[in-house]
Amino acid sequence: MTTIVALILQLVLVLLLSPLTIGLVRWFKARLQGRLGAPPWIVYTALLTTLKKQHVISENVSWVFRFVPFAVLGMAAFLVLSLPLLFSNGGLPQIDLFILAGVLSLGSVFLVFGGLDAGTAFGGMGASREMTIAALVEPVALITFSAFAVVAGSSSIQDVFGNGMSVFSHPALVLSFAALVLVALAENARYPVDNPATHLELTMVHEAMLLEYSGPYLAMLEYASSIKLTVFLVLLGNLIWVKPSAALAPEAIGLAAAGILSTLIVGSFALALLESSIAKMRFFRLQEYMSVAFFLSLSGFILVFLL
Amino acid sequence: MTYEQIKLFLPSASSRVNDEIRCRVEAPLFAGIVERLMKEGGLPLSSLYATDDRATDKSFGIHVILSLDEERLWMTLSTSVSGNDPTYPSLTRSVMAAHWYERYAQDMFGIVPEGHPDPRRLVHHENIPVGTHPLRKDFRWDTKLDHAQVPYPLHHVEGEGIYEIPVGPIHAGIIEPGHFRFNVAGERIITLEGKLFFTHKGVEKLLEGKTPLEALPFIERLSGDMAASHALAFCQAIEKISETVVPPRAKAIRTALCELERITMHLHDLANITGMGTGYTLMAANGFRIKERLVRLSQTLLGNRFWRGAIVPGGVSRDWTSGECALIKTTATEAVKEMQDLVKMALQSDGLRERLETTGILTREAAVAYGAVGLPARASGVARDVRLSHPYAAYAQLPWEIVTAEEGDVYARYRCRVEELEISLRVLLAAVDLHAGEPVVTRVSLKDGWGVAAVESWRGEILTAVHLKNGKIERCFPRDPSFCNWPLFGEIGPGNIVPDFPLCNKSLNLSYSGTDM
Repeated sequence: MTTIVALILQLVLVLLLSPLTIGLVRWFKARLQGRLGAPPWIVYTALLTTLKKQHVISENVSWVFRFVPFAVLGMAAFLVLSLPLLFSNGGLPQIDLFILAGVLSLGSVFLVFGGLDAGTAFGGMGASREMTIAALVEPVALITFSAFAVVAGSSSIQDVFGNGMSVFSHPALVLSFAALVLVALAENARYPVDNPATHLELTMVHEAMLLEYSGPYLAMLEYASSIKLTVFLVLLGNLIWVKPSAALAPEAIGLAAAGILSTLIVGSFALALLESSIAKMRFFRLQEYMSVAFFLSLSGFILVFLL
Repeated sequence: MTYEQIKLFLPSASSRVNDEIRCRVEAPLFAGIVERLMKEGGLPLSSLYATDDRATDKSFGIHVILSLDEERLWMTLSTSVSGNDPTYPSLTRSVMAAHWYERYAQDMFGIVPEGHPDPRRLVHHENIPVGTHPLRKDFRWDTKLDHAQVPYPLHHVEGEGIYEIPVGPIHAGIIEPGHFRFNVAGERIITLEGKLFFTHKGVEKLLEGKTPLEALPFIERLSGDMAASHALAFCQAIEKISETVVPPRAKAIRTALCELERITMHLHDLANITGMGTGYTLMAANGFRIKERLVRLSQTLLGNRFWRGAIVPGGVSRDWTSGECALIKTTATEAVKEMQDLVKMALQSDGLRERLETTGILTREAAVAYGAVGLPARASGVARDVRLSHPYAAYAQLPWEIVTAEEGDVYARYRCRVEELEISLRVLLAAVDLHAGEPVVTRVSLKDGWGVAAVESWRGEILTAVHLKNGKIERCFPRDPSFCNWPLFGEIGPGNIVPDFPLCNKSLNLSYSGTDM
């Protein structure tokens, strides 16, 4: 019973906070660049407006196109339910880390299907780029997770992210954590891999696959990416300073929720700072970025055994 | 090469009017002579346009304007072709730079360049019926055309894994319509072709029969971001035909206006290339704010945001007060300094430099062959600038110098803009006070005749050819630099990856409107 209550609490909290994360990143970015910026909560209104709008769907799409938003949003919800974000033992019991990696790629694959299904040039272009990046991210994610699993002595999500383990548990994890940050940026289509704010179709990766979507489907997909970003930020925060609550006590929950909120503020500020101070990477330089991530993760993994 | 040496190439007598050498050539010899003048004489082709002379001598005229940079002269070669069956041997067979001009004249006048390697339509899209030639005198400007379906094929490459990306004519940004067709292998661009002319305004047709004063507002609206430069080129052509001597103060103000326009747009481009092209958004956020200061200066001085309405035939509309001069100087200096600080900071970012360097290389050879003009040509090592080769306004007495680079990539074009910005400010500061207090306008008594005048706008060389008859415009061809530079994309694009194209595009910043006259 307590597990279910905890799950619902975690789901509600993360789902409520997700649009705010995107809003905060945009607001910090505007501030850092000397603009006034729209208030962070405008994202809620924007999502609701998009939700109310009419669909415009190509006549050439199959059922896959309509299925994708549900699948992608479903994957995002799965992340929220399975990861120890608010509660350390509140998640579904004993889910393997490699299932998490699999679910992440499954989300990407469905997005790619959605991009390809309408048969437009931009969708295909974005899909091809997404798969290129996914192929480079996947090994890094797996090796990084493995290093954490070795230190935790278990490959269950709860043991790795939930039971008080942090990046300081083992010196080698600092490298793995750095790799995880690079993976998170690539997974969430942020700088230097992708530019979520661009209007230039030719440079898009993630957005190119969403170009054919409109109305509620678009809102679902945008909501899904905001959830994904939030989950990643909270996860990274949990590994550094914030601890999820171990019990269903009000004070503990309050503390953990405040922890999540502070993570989101610090995390979105850091992301905004990064996106305001560098240029997007040339697409064909991404293998260098991913090589750095790969060697960080590999060194972390090896050092876990050596140190 | 000098005029004396050029004379040896010419089959018939030539005449000299002002800074123009004129020569009439028989149509069959035309292509050969132009080719010799360009290849052996090294004269760049600056413009080619047609005229409908059927009312007077039952023929169409074709005029090629070459530049004799060394002696600061223009060389106009003219020929006439039969009014009933207008054909002539194409220049493009050996002179690449003529390719768009000839296709343009083919659409507009129905003059067929025989042997043109790419005789497709240019201005006319699928919906224009065969045999529509809007610039012929017997075509009424308000003709309603039937809807046609004529093929407008674009380059197509076939092969394993090769696909086409159609982009536009409607774009995600607030820009004008233009369609780009990429043939791509993976991310690598194989061919790139533009289809423009979606919103042809028919300015050339509308100018005919108007007095220069009536025509001026149309000229100023050819391309919104170069209103002052276009107005100046047009007024200079009118003044040249009418043998008007413009007062020195007017020349100083004209120079200042063109430099203000250059500063405005260089600020824009410096912000746009880095800010929007590479995603280094700090530059866009602050650069556009800085540009806005200049735009508002225009609003304060002229009552519009486009440096419009100041340049008139015979001079400028009014002199600036000492307060206005001071305002111009402080605003421009502050804006330029602020941008220079910003650029200095931005260029310290390796990631940004990496995006700009080696992207979108225009080789010197290609720039010369295509007849590229302006900053893109200079950034590829072509040291040509109208201010040097055909000085106008007050440039001869001002501390101006030419800016060039060798690499021809986006970074070279960026650096050239940074340097031009500084020089531009220097020229502006000197020009604002030059001959202060002297008269700014003189009467123009119109004469019949024709002439050409050029202005180095921030975008490149504008060359305006005007034919006046009974005080009205008989024909006017204001050649915008974009017309010369649009085809460069076919050279710049291939070899780059698709996501770098917007960066190449912004580094040229060509005008759709200026081409879509």
